[in-house]
Amino acid sequence: MLSEFSAIEGRSPRYWMLVGLFALVLAVGMGAFLAIEVYGHGITGMNNQVVWGMPHVFAISLLVMASGALNLGSMSTVFATVQFKQFTRFSAFLAIVLLVGGLTVLLLDLGRPDRLLLPMLHMNFRSMFTWNVFLYSGFLVLCLLYLWSMFSYKQFTKVVGSAAFAWRVILTTGTGSIFGVIQARDVFHSAITGPMFVAVSLTSGTALSTILLVSTYRRTGRHMDEKLVFGLRNALIFFTLLVGYLFVVEKFTKMYSPAFYDVELWLFTGPWAKLYWFGVWGCCVIFPLMILFNGRWGNTVHGVMAASGITVVGVFAFVAHVLLAGQSFPFDMFPGYQLSSVFLDGVDAVYTPALVEFALGFGGIALSGILFLLGIKFFRLLPGRAVAPKGWELPWSP
Amino acid sequence: MTMDRRSVLGLGGVLAAGLVLAPGMRLVAAPENVTEASDKRRWGMLIDTTHCDAACTACTQACRTENNVSIVGDPQRDIHWIRKVDLHDKDGRKPDRSLPVLCNHCEHPPCVHVCPTEASFIRKDGIVLVDMHRCIGCRYCMIACPYKARSLVYSKPKVPPDANTRVPIRAKGVVEKCTFCVHRIDDGGEPACVEACRKDGGGSMLFGDINDPNSEISKRIREVSTTTIRADLGLKPRVHYQGI
Amino acid sequence: MELLRSLAARIGVAVFVTLLFVLAVGLPANVQAGPPQLEEPKGGGECIRPEGWMRRNHMDFLKHQRGLTVREGIRVRSESLAKCAECHTSHTRFCDRCHNYVGVAPDCFECHLFPE
Repeated sequence: MLSEFSAIEGRSPRYWMLVGLFALVLAVGMGAFLAIEVYGHGITGMNNQVVWGMPHVFAISLLVMASGALNLGSMSTVFATVQFKQFTRFSAFLAIVLLVGGLTVLLLDLGRPDRLLLPMLHMNFRSMFTWNVFLYSGFLVLCLLYLWSMFSYKQFTKVVGSAAFAWRVILTTGTGSIFGVIQARDVFHSAITGPMFVAVSLTSGTALSTILLVSTYRRTGRHMDEKLVFGLRNALIFFTLLVGYLFVVEKFTKMYSPAFYDVELWLFTGPWAKLYWFGVWGCCVIFPLMILFNGRWGNTVHGVMAASGITVVGVFAFVAHVLLAGQSFPFDMFPGYQLSSVFLDGVDAVYTPALVEFALGFGGIALSGILFLLGIKFFRLLPGRAVAPKGWELPWSP
Repeated sequence: MTMDRRSVLGLGGVLAAGLVLAPGMRLVAAPENVTEASDKRRWGMLIDTTHCDAACTACTQACRTENNVSIVGDPQRDIHWIRKVDLHDKDGRKPDRSLPVLCNHCEHPPCVHVCPTEASFIRKDGIVLVDMHRCIGCRYCMIACPYKARSLVYSKPKVPPDANTRVPIRAKGVVEKCTFCVHRIDDGGEPACVEACRKDGGGSMLFGDINDPNSEISKRIREVSTTTIRADLGLKPRVHYQGI
Repeated sequence: MELLRSLAARIGVAVFVTLLFVLAVGLPANVQAGPPQLEEPKGGGECIRPEGWMRRNHMDFLKHQRGLTVREGIRVRSESLAKCAECHTSHTRFCDRCHNYVGVAPDCFECHLFPE
């Protein structure tokens, strides 16, 4: 039977050390924000060729994982996967904290963060950004309602949980479409950029949930049934295959068109090729699958943890590749001509991220981390003992 | 007959003044107290690349002086409202070209479509502008523009000692770009680059109302073969090029 | 835990007192005695609106004109910011003095240039 939900004790010095560590990183992140605010974006590595840099990589990765964090909740509420029902509260809460962390980074990287209220006063409904303002705030509200219903009004859980699931698909499609709809950029202009983001959110959200669940239960000395971890492993395998499938379809469609020969060849062999092969293909698809499908590694909790870790690295690599390679490929304004100018037309853009950008990005992660740590201490988000329901057996193992 | 230095200079000055005054005559009329952008007009530009010299930077220089666009000193972050781009045919069949690239003031500008706050907008006469009071510096427009027409202000701008007080400088953190010298157009003038190109350059830039079938630019666009940059994107740019 | 709590309370009080002290020392340097002395406009002509009205409403007025000019393309040259600068040639000796006195910081002058 499912055991009672209970908060973790959170009194050990190591718990407070972890909170303190995150607080320190957060403070450094705030310092980075203030520095950028005072001195301008000149102190970052961004330039007039690559205008979105590491803060956006961090922010968008967190947002993608936020929607993915709702996986466990949706699997149980919408798709009746009984063994994950005990993690629905955790799942909704994790989605909220990741969203808050990601959005904070995104907003603090604005050129004029002092005008933060302007987007609320003047809205351009044709902009994907305006859509995303509604999608993110709606998602936040739905997750809170979902959480609330799970605590106090169980009869609404199904409705709110289903709405949150539908919303998260639209939300991540919206995030991907920030890039997908941009016709000018050959690298990421595609109808399946949105779906690719959804697929990557499925893998990375599941992976991050696995890591956090296993480590939380281990660190607090509570019991978590290994079968549950392997259930998560099976879900991760399925989602990873989906990611690989979409990657292949995208590349296949583009490479079929002669207009894309140049850009695709550049992606495979150009300055961002390493990130593409090792980061995008390696970390998002190949390495996790190699571990998870392996009869020995795939059947150990450590193996699943390692694969999950690589998958989380993979989401950062994927977003970084979309963003940075996407902005670095030079515009072909005059087909057939080689361009050159003082404004660096016709050459690959160069981007070297600065430390402040990482500080800001890690600040966002730290904010999510603190909220998560405090959340599991002050709310009853996790079951005291995570056990597989009676009669439930793993359908498959490598 | 020999001429001393002074009279040669003087003669040159008279000639130059004569050349300048003739085409500039219509600009002299003092602006009325109240003017309004007309939705009947669509400002456009035609650039004849066959008369554009690779070494000439009259248009870009004039733009910097007119609009207080100072050089930052970092090529990665320098701000360019208009820039000279050198073209070399990869197959070597067509001659090399040099031409200015600036904001194309598209009929369907992607920068305006993506701007969350409507800071980028289309004025009634078709000019695409950035409302600096409303820009939050998100840079989505720079992602969306296929012409690289926009620059972010990366650091506190320097005020040039001989700054043109008619054009405000731009604070750090906002995105700026060519305005077609909207302040000059409203006074009945033409963009500084076009004027400079006629005075000091090859006279290869023509500016006017492409909605008016009798304007010089409309006639030229009808007569000669012109093209626009990335016409395949369907943005309908209003900067036309001849000779490429 | 008790120790931590009392320590936190003491640190809090200390920070509060320090802040008060900083305020007490720092404030008088910026506060002038009496109303600010503004530079007389050059040219000696009348302002485009009565002085009292301007004092109360210039911010809304400027904002309104700004909207008209930038977004609608309607230029009323006799009522533009550039026109203001013809008489009030220096914003540091006119606008800023009052703004500093009442403690507002509009960002007009980050971009708009005045003759001096």
